[in-house]
Amino acid sequence: MIAYAMNLATLIAINAILAITLNFIMGYAGIFSLAHALFFGVGAYTAAWIAMHVSADFFLTVSGAALLASLLSLALALPALRVREVYFVAASLGLQVLGSTVFAEWKSVTGGIGGVIGIPPAELFGIPLSDPHAFLALALACLTFVIAVTYGLVRSSFGRSLTAIRDSESAAAAYGKNVALIKTLAVVVSSALCAVAGALYAFYLSFINVESFVLDTSILLMAMVIIGGTGTVLGPIIGTVLLLLLPAGLSYLSFLPHTEIGSIQQMIYGLAMVVLMIFRPGGLVGGRSLGERK
Amino acid sequence: MLFLQLLVNGIQVGALYALTAVGFSLIFGSTRIFHVAHGATFTLAGYVFYELYSVAGEPWIAALAAATAGAGIFGVLVDRLVYAPIQRHEGSFFTVFVASFGISIVVQNLVGTAFGRGFVSISSPLSRSVELAPGLYAPPTAAISVLAAVVCFVGLHFFLTRTHIGMALRALSENPDLVRVFGLDPRRLSSYAFALGSLLVVPGALLTGATAGLSPALGNHVMLISLAATIVGGVGSLRGAACGGLLLGLAENLALWHLDPQWSEAVTFVVLFLFIIFRPAGFFGRVATQ
Amino acid sequence: MSAAVPVLLDIRGVSRRFGGLLAINEVTMALEAGVITTLVGPNGAGKTTLFNLITGYLAPDAGEVLWKGRSLRGMPHWAIARLGIARTFQDLRLFTHMSVEDNVLTVMERSSWLWQPGGRRAERAKRARAAAILEMTGLSDKARVRAIDLAYAERKFLSLARIMATDAELWLLDEPASGLDLPSYERFLELLRSKAREGITVCIIEHNFDIVQRISDRIVFLDQGRLIADGEPKAVLADPHLANLYFGEHAA
Repeated sequence: MIAYAMNLATLIAINAILAITLNFIMGYAGIFSLAHALFFGVGAYTAAWIAMHVSADFFLTVSGAALLASLLSLALALPALRVREVYFVAASLGLQVLGSTVFAEWKSVTGGIGGVIGIPPAELFGIPLSDPHAFLALALACLTFVIAVTYGLVRSSFGRSLTAIRDSESAAAAYGKNVALIKTLAVVVSSALCAVAGALYAFYLSFINVESFVLDTSILLMAMVIIGGTGTVLGPIIGTVLLLLLPAGLSYLSFLPHTEIGSIQQMIYGLAMVVLMIFRPGGLVGGRSLGERK
Repeated sequence: MLFLQLLVNGIQVGALYALTAVGFSLIFGSTRIFHVAHGATFTLAGYVFYELYSVAGEPWIAALAAATAGAGIFGVLVDRLVYAPIQRHEGSFFTVFVASFGISIVVQNLVGTAFGRGFVSISSPLSRSVELAPGLYAPPTAAISVLAAVVCFVGLHFFLTRTHIGMALRALSENPDLVRVFGLDPRRLSSYAFALGSLLVVPGALLTGATAGLSPALGNHVMLISLAATIVGGVGSLRGAACGGLLLGLAENLALWHLDPQWSEAVTFVVLFLFIIFRPAGFFGRVATQ
Repeated sequence: MSAAVPVLLDIRGVSRRFGGLLAINEVTMALEAGVITTLVGPNGAGKTTLFNLITGYLAPDAGEVLWKGRSLRGMPHWAIARLGIARTFQDLRLFTHMSVEDNVLTVMERSSWLWQPGGRRAERAKRARAAAILEMTGLSDKARVRAIDLAYAERKFLSLARIMATDAELWLLDEPASGLDLPSYERFLELLRSKAREGITVCIIEHNFDIVQRISDRIVFLDQGRLIADGEPKAVLADPHLANLYFGEHAA
């Protein structure tokens, strides 16, 4: 039972990082990205590669993962943020699909559909972290770090710029905000921190494959952020907990056919999205307002 | 010869993509709503036909009527029951987008639970290929696809240029405020846009079902193509969406000349990316960078 | 106004079309330093469009806009704002989910990066300046209130506070005082007047004849996209045709 709880806690921590970083661009900057799972994957594969070919040092692998994810996100953001929001959604969607295909086909680096196996445990100052307790502590430390960074940015001048852009992009530009640059920075920060979760995931499971980094995952992450509440600190965490506990909760309802649990789960959060958007667009934590765009 | 074969396939697929894309573009252009659930409309139309014709054995005319009515009603219902209340309260782009997304997830899973997640096929004599030349096969559905597309586009053109509602819809996409000035109700017009746009998926759904087969996830794929075609063709241009759809259908198939099948979806997005980088206005659109 | 007063903004033969409609038709005018100009005309005359063209929100189809002798052609909207041209919006477009204080602060924060230059000292100076601006606009006790929760008059003053927070030399105000109750209105005018005395160039779109009379040095008439008169208020309004155009729109 303890092992089960610790496993769940570690996964919640990792997913919470994903939800918080997605919320950073969606809830504060108003940028809709369907490519978040892709950056998660880039982080994971990069960390795995570095761990297996160079060194399993945690800081090194995470830095490499963050760097690569940042560069890729620049490639997405620079062209797509110049124009209307519709384009960014479409471009992120395209990148996600393209990326999944690359993950599945690039056998030499990603192991293709088989994935990467035998990832060594992360090393912190030379000590390998194979104990689940220690790893959970590491995951929570990373989560705390990510919360501190995003919360710090939100309360800073950068956060004010983001909110200004979300509230009225035309006014923000009229008052001298370089909207495209600010949005690009937000995307880069979000992707870099997202990659941290990828690295954690790779070390935790010792095995990764493309199935975890597909469009469905991006959609699940989006659901977590929206249902929990965009533009708040607590919202994404609540969303993560709810949506990760949902399959476990559903399995207790014995009248539900076991094979369909995945579908039912998706239907529930699909329905939740619709209902929330009509009555409570700010999500469970956020309440009535999501912010208007002009 | 392979090239010609791929070309024929590309034209067939492209014609159907063009229809669905125009439906999406019509809705987006007139109402500014990002109707992600357009893919769900496609899925519903296809499966309704499949259920009535292939499973229950009803005559194809009845199944066609049901699928058409189903598509139109679904589109209007989503507009009335979901988008309208959202727009009354707050109606930002995202709120509507997310709700639409939610609907498509629900529909995809409902269909998957009811019919299974794999492909189902609408078998009909029309899907049997005819050898036109050595190595070049085309089923009658290829010709029907192109014919259906042409007929629908001619009909749409007539509707948009000659009928009162059609012209009002065009006015709506140019200038929503102006429409109110002329005493028309944008909300009701929007329902017309949804009905019309949704009807346009029907030929695509049925013919795809008869050729490649239907699956619950297909709606997603169709939605992505419609979106990509709208952008490639130029937001706000129906002509552009049709050309975009055709282009993407061709690209998806011609890519098979040199690439493995799993890359064909990726090709669509490479094309999309190139347009976003080099020509965000698309073929016929007007650029709006701010 | 002596002939030696520098021209800050030079609008030369600017035109702009929307589909079939020629919204701005070869408008030529100059805004001189320290002069308060009112831009008047019937609804739909193109006044807000002209502002949009000056600030780079829209690009002219023909003609040029020059700021201190330098052409603004092709410059992005935000870059023009940083040159010293600021505007308000008729529908305010306040940053609704931010506090009053944050609305003012964010305008002063020019850097797009993750932090602002200057360290602690610049930070303190910035906050002190924000406090002073809130004091001047009477919003000090509402500093922490969200913009969306303000009363109508307070929102108008916040819009003014925002533009005060820029270092702009040219203010383009779009109906800044409309709908204000009398005491607020008087306060508003006094604030404008004091800013003009400090040397800020102001161009106001207003339908309010009182403003035209009391504080503007110059009046520019726009009708159907065309500039039909430009000069001192007394002289311009002495023309019966123009007076009729103006008053006819706003009788009583």
